[in-house]
Amino acid sequence: MPYSKQEKAEIWLDSFGLDYAKKIRLYSLCETPYGLVSRLAQEERAVKNQIGETAFAAMARSLEDARCLEKLLGSYEEKRIVCVTFSSERYPEALKQIPNPPTVLYCRGDVSLLRTRKFAVVGSRRMQPAMLECTRRFAREIAAHFTIVTGTADGGDTAAATGALEGGKVIAVLAYGLDHVYPACNRNLLRAIEERGLLVSEHLPFERPRAYYFPVRNRIIAGLSEGVLVTGGGEKSGTRITADCAYSYGRDVFAFPYGVGVPSGAGCNAILKEYAKLTDNLVDIFDAFGINLTATDPVELTSAESAVYRILQEGTVHVSEIAQRSGLKPHELPAVLTMLEMKGLAVSCGGNRYAAVR
Amino acid sequence: MLSKVKSFALAGLEGVPVEVETDINNGLPAYELVGLPDAAVKESRERVRSALKNSGRKFPTQKITVNLAPADLKKEGAHFDLAIAVGILKATEQLPGVDCSGYVFLGELALDGALRAVQGILPLLISAKAAGYVRFILPQANAREAAYIEGIEVFAAPNLSAVVEHLNGAAPLSPLPLSRYAAARPEEYRADLAFVKGQATAKRALEIAVCGGHNLLLVGPPGAGKTMLARCIPTIMPDMTFEESLEVTKIHSVAGILGEAGIVTMRPFRSPHHTATTVSMCGGGTRAVKPGEISLAHNGVLFLDEMPEYHRSTLEALRQPLEDGVITVTRSSGAVTFPANFVLCASMNPCPCGNYGSADRICTCTPAAIQKYRARISGPLLDRIDIQVEVDSVRYDDLVSTQEEEGSAAVKARVERTRAIQRERFAACPGVYSNARMSEREMQRFCRLSGECEQILRLSFERLHLSARARARIIKVARTIADLEQSEQILPSHILEAVSYRQYDNS
Repeated sequence: MPYSKQEKAEIWLDSFGLDYAKKIRLYSLCETPYGLVSRLAQEERAVKNQIGETAFAAMARSLEDARCLEKLLGSYEEKRIVCVTFSSERYPEALKQIPNPPTVLYCRGDVSLLRTRKFAVVGSRRMQPAMLECTRRFAREIAAHFTIVTGTADGGDTAAATGALEGGKVIAVLAYGLDHVYPACNRNLLRAIEERGLLVSEHLPFERPRAYYFPVRNRIIAGLSEGVLVTGGGEKSGTRITADCAYSYGRDVFAFPYGVGVPSGAGCNAILKEYAKLTDNLVDIFDAFGINLTATDPVELTSAESAVYRILQEGTVHVSEIAQRSGLKPHELPAVLTMLEMKGLAVSCGGNRYAAVR
Repeated sequence: MLSKVKSFALAGLEGVPVEVETDINNGLPAYELVGLPDAAVKESRERVRSALKNSGRKFPTQKITVNLAPADLKKEGAHFDLAIAVGILKATEQLPGVDCSGYVFLGELALDGALRAVQGILPLLISAKAAGYVRFILPQANAREAAYIEGIEVFAAPNLSAVVEHLNGAAPLSPLPLSRYAAARPEEYRADLAFVKGQATAKRALEIAVCGGHNLLLVGPPGAGKTMLARCIPTIMPDMTFEESLEVTKIHSVAGILGEAGIVTMRPFRSPHHTATTVSMCGGGTRAVKPGEISLAHNGVLFLDEMPEYHRSTLEALRQPLEDGVITVTRSSGAVTFPANFVLCASMNPCPCGNYGSADRICTCTPAAIQKYRARISGPLLDRIDIQVEVDSVRYDDLVSTQEEEGSAAVKARVERTRAIQRERFAACPGVYSNARMSEREMQRFCRLSGECEQILRLSFERLHLSARARARIIKVARTIADLEQSEQILPSHILEAVSYRQYDNS
C-alpha cells in the first residue's frame, strides 16, 4: 500500500531520531506534518528553537537531496518494514487515545493485526515454572478471541508469546529497532512472530536496546490492548508499569494471585490490592468481555492420577511427600507424574518437585 | 663370547618378546646398547655395573655390545636391567654350565643389586604365556600380581645374587604358589546405599542405570550428595569375574597404579578433576602410549563431577568410546587400542547458582543464564546419557532419620537378576551384553511396543518437547525397567517412567 503525502512527511520527520518531547514540539508548529515539511525553510527560526541547530542542519541537508525520501522508504522496504504513522488509517484507534502515542510504528509481519481486538499478557523474567506454564495456557486460550500483545523478554513474555502462537496471533512490542534481536536466546521466537504475527517498535530500525526504552515501551503494550493480564512480577517489575498505564488508560487489568512471601509475585498482589481483578480462571477474563467460554472436554484421570493431582493442587510438592501421601511406591510415581504432565495438568518445578497447572 | 637371554617389551597392553644379545670382545672398555632403547634403558649400564659389583660379580673391562632384538621396536622402561645383567654374567662365563634359555627375565636393578618392581607385569606375563613361555624370574615386589596366572612357573627373587644362586643351583627358588581370585567383599567398599538417606528417585535411577548399563546424569544443588550416590554405583554392580578383573588389572598395571594387592578386585571408580586434558582422559603420552582415565575406569564407573566445567573438547572425545567401549589412541609411533567399557556417571548443578528448583532457597539466575549453563553439555553427548535425574538437597531431618534404608546388597541382588535376564536374551547377539548396547536390529526384536505404548510415546514427544533422538534411548531404558520388574512386555508405565528420566534434553 503506497504511503500518502502526509504519511511520507511523518516518516521523514521521524527519521532524524529526535526524542519524543522534541518531536511533539516540532509537530505543534504546524497543522499537519506535510505543511511543516513544505514550510521548513520559512519556519527556520521556530524549528531551530524547538529542536536545535544540529537536527535542523541534518534536515536541511536531507532536503537538498531530491531522492532522500525515496532512499529512506527504499531502505525500509528492503528490510520488510511497514511504517504505520499516526495519521494512517491503519494506526490503532485505541493507541491514539493514550496521552503520548508513538508517532510512527515500525512494523514487520502482518500489519492487519493492528486492527483486530487485542489483549495483553505480560510476565516477568523470573517466574516459577508452574506460573510460566499457566501463562502459556492462558495466552493460548485467550488467543482464540484476541490477538495477544506482549513483550519479548524471556520468562513470562516468552511463555505468553509461545502460548499465543499455539492458539492464534501475537503482536510483540519491542523496546529497540527492528534490526536487532534481543534477548538473543529468543531469536527463533522472534522469527516465528514475524512470520505468523507482528513485530512492532516505535524506534528507528538501527536503535539498540537501552534500559530506559523498556518502561516507555510498556505504555504501547497497554495502549494497544483492551485488557492486560499480569501473570507475574516482583516489587519493581516492569509489568507493574504496564499495569499502571493500562489502568490509567481505563483498560481492564487482570492479575494472577500469589502466595504470601513469594517474591516473584509481590507486584501482582500489589496491583490486586489497588485495582486489578483477581484472575485464576479464564472465565474471570472472558466474563468482562461478554465472551462465553466453550466448555473444554474434561480430562480423564485414573484413580492414581487424580489422587496425585489433588495433592499437587495444594502447591509445589516434593515427590517424596507425594509418594507418602498418595500411598504410591516411589518407583510407581514417575509414570503417574509424567502422564499428568502430558495431560497438561502438572509441571515439573525442578528439584523433584511438581505443581498442578490448573 | 656371545649370550642370549629372553625378556619382554610392552606395546600398549601387549607384551612383545625381546631377545637380549650380549657380546664381549677384546678392545678398549666400552658399552654399546643398540635396539632403539629409550633413556631409561640406556642408563641401565650404570645400574648393571654397580649391581654386579655390589653383588660380588665382575663387570668386564672389555668392549660390551648389547642388542635388544627385534631392533625396530622401541624399548621403554627399566625392566631390561635383569636380563642385561644375566646376559653379561653368561657372556663373561660367570654362570658356567647354566642354561638360561627357558627363562624370561624381568626386573629393574638397584645399585646394591636388589630387584625393584616394574610396571605392566601382568600384561607381559599374559602375552608371554600365550607365546609359549612358561618360566619367569621377576622381582619379589611383583610376586602378588604374577601369582594369579595359571600354568606358568614364576620365581620371585629379592636381588641379583638370589637370581644367580637359583640359576647355578646353589639356592634354588621355589615357584610361586597360585593365588585364588576372590571378588572384593562388600565391606571393602567405603560407600553403601544404606548410608544415603532419602533420595528415592535418585536411588531408583541408579539401580536402573546399573541394571541396563545406562549412563547417568545426576542434577542437584551443591552438597546434595551427588558424589556419594555415584560412589555407591560400584557397590551395586555385579562382582567382577576373574576375566574382567584381569582386564582391569592389566590396564592398571601398565599405568603403574596397581596397589599392594597385585590384582584389582573392586570395580574401579575414577573421578578425574575437571581440569583433565583430553590426553589424560583418553590415553596417550609423549613416549609410551599410556591408558587414560576412561580405560582406567574399564568395567567400572567414570564419574565426572560438575560436568559443564570440563573442557568441551575433553567431553566430546568421550562420545566415540561411549559408543564402542574401546578407545584407539593413534600416534606417529603406531596405534594402540585400550578397552574403555564403563558406566558414565556425570553430575551438574541445575543452574549456575545451584538453587533452581530448591524449596527454600531462591535461584538468582535468569532463564537465559540457565539455558547457557546447560548448553555447555552438547546435544550429542547428552543423547548418550540415557538417564537424567534430579538429586534433592539434603534435609536435616533426613540426615538424622533412623529409618532403615535399603542397603547395596539387596539392590545388587536385583541387579544381578536383571543382568541374568539380559545375558539370556543377548546370548545369540555377539558384542551385546546389556540393554544400553542394543543396536537397531536388537531393538526391533526385543523391544516390541504395543499400540498403547506407541501412542504414549508419541504423545510424550508432542507434549513434553523431547528431542526425537531421545526415542531409542527411552525405549532401551523402558526395556530395562521392564526387566527389573520381571515383565516380558514393555508396559505403558515403563515407557512413562523412562520418559521421566529425560527431563534435561527437552527444548
